[in-house]
Amino acid sequence: MLKGLRNIVAKEVKEMVRDPRILLSMILAPMLILPLMGFMIRTSQEAAMESMRNISVAVIDHDGGVFAKNLTSFLEFYGIKVENLSASGIDEVADNVQNSNLTAVIIIPENFSSNITSGFVGQLKIYGVFRGGGITESTTFSAVNSLLQAYKQNLTKQKLLDEGLNPETVLEPIDISAESIVKGKPSSINPDALFAVSMSQLFGFPFAILMLIILAMQLAATSVASEKEEKTLETLLSLPISRFTMLVGKLTGSVIVAAIGAVATIVGVIYYIGSFSFGAPTQVPIDLSQIGLAPELVGYIILGASLFVSLLSALALAVVVSVFAEDVRGAQSLLGFVYLPLFLPMLALMFTDINTLPLTARIILLAIPFTHPMLAARAMITGEYFTAVLGIAYVTVFTLGILYVAARIFATEKILTARIRFRKKKTTEE
Amino acid sequence: MSMAVKAQSLVKVFGNIKALDNLTFQVKPREIYGLIGPNGAGKTTALRVISTLILPTSGSARVFGHDVVSKASEIRSLISYLPGEAGAYKNLSGREYLQFMGKFNSEVKNHLKEMVEDAENISGLGDRLKDKIKTYSTGMKRRLLVARALMNKPKLAVLDEPTSGLDVLHAYHVRGIIKQYVREYGVTVLLSSHNMLEVEHICDRVALINKGRIVAEGTPNELKTKHNAANLEEVFAEVAGLA
Repeated sequence: MLKGLRNIVAKEVKEMVRDPRILLSMILAPMLILPLMGFMIRTSQEAAMESMRNISVAVIDHDGGVFAKNLTSFLEFYGIKVENLSASGIDEVADNVQNSNLTAVIIIPENFSSNITSGFVGQLKIYGVFRGGGITESTTFSAVNSLLQAYKQNLTKQKLLDEGLNPETVLEPIDISAESIVKGKPSSINPDALFAVSMSQLFGFPFAILMLIILAMQLAATSVASEKEEKTLETLLSLPISRFTMLVGKLTGSVIVAAIGAVATIVGVIYYIGSFSFGAPTQVPIDLSQIGLAPELVGYIILGASLFVSLLSALALAVVVSVFAEDVRGAQSLLGFVYLPLFLPMLALMFTDINTLPLTARIILLAIPFTHPMLAARAMITGEYFTAVLGIAYVTVFTLGILYVAARIFATEKILTARIRFRKKKTTEE
Repeated sequence: MSMAVKAQSLVKVFGNIKALDNLTFQVKPREIYGLIGPNGAGKTTALRVISTLILPTSGSARVFGHDVVSKASEIRSLISYLPGEAGAYKNLSGREYLQFMGKFNSEVKNHLKEMVEDAENISGLGDRLKDKIKTYSTGMKRRLLVARALMNKPKLAVLDEPTSGLDVLHAYHVRGIIKQYVREYGVTVLLSSHNMLEVEHICDRVALINKGRIVAEGTPNELKTKHNAANLEEVFAEVAGLA
């Protein structure tokens, strides 16, 4: 083992974990913010469900016929509180309605019932009351709207029965059953459901990977830049310990703290996702392993390896960049330039399949090391490991190159003297 | 006898600034040698070259016979460097800092313990060593750093402005400790200062340095006699052409 490595790593981890800025922004915040968001979403969903039990609508009935009465009773049957308003038009009541707790106003015009009975279209008008939007407003309005749709369908069925026809066969003359073909085998799973599951993985993985890489890069850059800012670097460099050990120590420390941060984020994400299950339509969970889409062990290993090498390349890159900064703030600004090649593959791979892109775009994407863990995440689903392994080989070579540059910079006086200035120049160097 | 430090025609250029201009000096073992001069004279650059932090543009320097360019890692295990503007890891306690630094010089537990105890005596920080460094005053931090630089009894201690930021009493204490380490443990000291009166009390020999070159060298008494001056400040004013 490199002499003194354990000492350096222990100090790096201690320094970072005890730094309130790092503790707050990288460990506590992701652990708290996401569950807090989840809690708020859950609470507002519960509030929306609660308000579903107390929906009130106003009806302005200019018809007075059988279907008008029928519609009102239908709404009341499903628990809607119906308030009758007498007004010549909506203008007369709009202001009062706005300040009430009514969800909607339904206007039944003259001849509504007679039109329906004599084979014409019965007109109906519904006004949704907008008070600033939000989940409660939108769900209560759609509840009223869907009841009106249901009433319409009931009427259709009744009319068909009156004509001596079977409503089931007239309204649904074709029954479409949708299934999928996965990895060359037919499967009874609905493709829409399958796409939804894979979408969540396609969006989720790149995002999580991006978070981890950015976190680790910030830590590594901070760890070098703060040595400059706090004026501890010179003492460190004069110690009897190889510069390569120092570099490896800093990278290892950053990986360890970033991993703690990543776990904190994942805990937050799991709780956050868990918050959405409330009130969602009950779905039969898809057993991915039955159709061969569950990631295999080899898939996890490949993803892990791919993540590890690209993380290392990101860290080495962050160290190289931070050497040119005078302080932590400068390092963070310089790091901003590295974020673009990080976001590019994430966005590209979220919305497209890399194989459908033009050759130049594909080459650019593949040249960016951070593309590869995202491709490896997709390979976990598709089982096409060959390209993922090639990717790992490429990123390893890339990482070794960057590590070499970082080690070279660490070994020379550049680490003390190299700098890009953002502010006005100082003049003397004693 | 091999010289502790032998600098020969050192030149260091930063962009268009010549920080060292043919600097030549020698430090004998067990001697306290002071580089004295105003801000920007090249003192820190000279100490950084000797401590293997930066490379000379031309010329050579040897520490106990080892070349600063080709044998940097050998030199690093012989020396202890205290930068002029140094900080310490603010989220570590004073004791943790000393232990962290000490481990690079010794992995033997007892030796490490002894070193940290020595550092406690040198710094005089007592119970405050348990506290995080971010709670220390400038003077306390400097005492901790001086203690760190001396605790391993290096063959050569390179101290850049060792008493800067210290009040009169603590500066006096630190000077006493430096002298004691030379006397008792055979440490050689190369230090820099712009406080010429202080240097008179502590250095065996001094070099007055201005614009990257040595303008006078000798024991404080020799220099004062030669230039018929009451103190080193007057000597410097004369040789730098200010008088």
